[in-house]
Amino acid sequence: MSDLLTAVEQALEDEGLLFTRDDDEDAFRIAFKSEGDRYFVVSYRDDPNFVMLGSGWALPSSVEAEDALDVANLLNVRKKFVKTALWEDERDVLFTIELCVESTEELRPHFGRLLDVLRDTAAEFFEQLRE
Amino acid sequence: MGRVRETIARFIEGEGHKVDATPVDPGTGESELLFRTRGQVFSVTTTENDGGIYSISTAYEIPEWARERGHNAETLERVGADHAGVQFSLAHDGSLFVATLDESAGTPERFTHVFWELVARVREAGTQAIETIVDRTESRTAAEKFINSFMRGEH
Repeated sequence: MSDLLTAVEQALEDEGLLFTRDDDEDAFRIAFKSEGDRYFVVSYRDDPNFVMLGSGWALPSSVEAEDALDVANLLNVRKKFVKTALWEDERDVLFTIELCVESTEELRPHFGRLLDVLRDTAAEFFEQLRE
Repeated sequence: MGRVRETIARFIEGEGHKVDATPVDPGTGESELLFRTRGQVFSVTTTENDGGIYSISTAYEIPEWARERGHNAETLERVGADHAGVQFSLAHDGSLFVATLDESAGTPERFTHVFWELVARVREAGTQAIETIVDRTESRTAAEKFINSFMRGEH
């Protein structure tokens, strides 16, 4: 099977970002950082039209899960593309963009925008929790 | 590679960004590091002889139609007043401007602690400047004022 994430690698090259690959028998995976924050891209071998970009963050211990859920819900209503979810016993927050594509080449011209919205959503999430 | 340049270059790479490092002046140990973030190329100047002084710059192209308006320098001065420490300069016959922030961090390590905050300040100032330059609202308002006055027969 051809590499589904080659176009994402090219998009990362376009953005001047370094990355690593971590593929296995189930999935193609890319890990990268931007301004020090970690992100990932995943595509599954048995579902080549699905691609997910995301970032995961630990919630500070001072944050109540209920408050975090409220903020996540608000962001899910308001933000384009990004899904915000609490997981791992509600101590982590995950920001993901899930897309259906014919080819990940379709992502390439929009990669900067998608990365911006992931970054902005995480920033807004933590900013609203502080308010 | 000098220690200061090496420290900053490794830091930026460690944060996920490719870095292109070039010595500028072997006499002073000045170097330029180029990297890209959020679609914008930034330049960081380091100096080996004075490892506490740094400069972060980025350039914005001014659209051709907005170059001849004559008041871009004033616009940059006005926007610069809202962003302490950020300096603007027009270059290449007014076809672009450069936003620069100088930082006396003391050590390379201290500079890395505030690095992204400084990049964000330069970006914020630059973005505001280019948005102000391409915003025609001001000239439209002026035109409307003139039309309204003219209609009232004040001229």
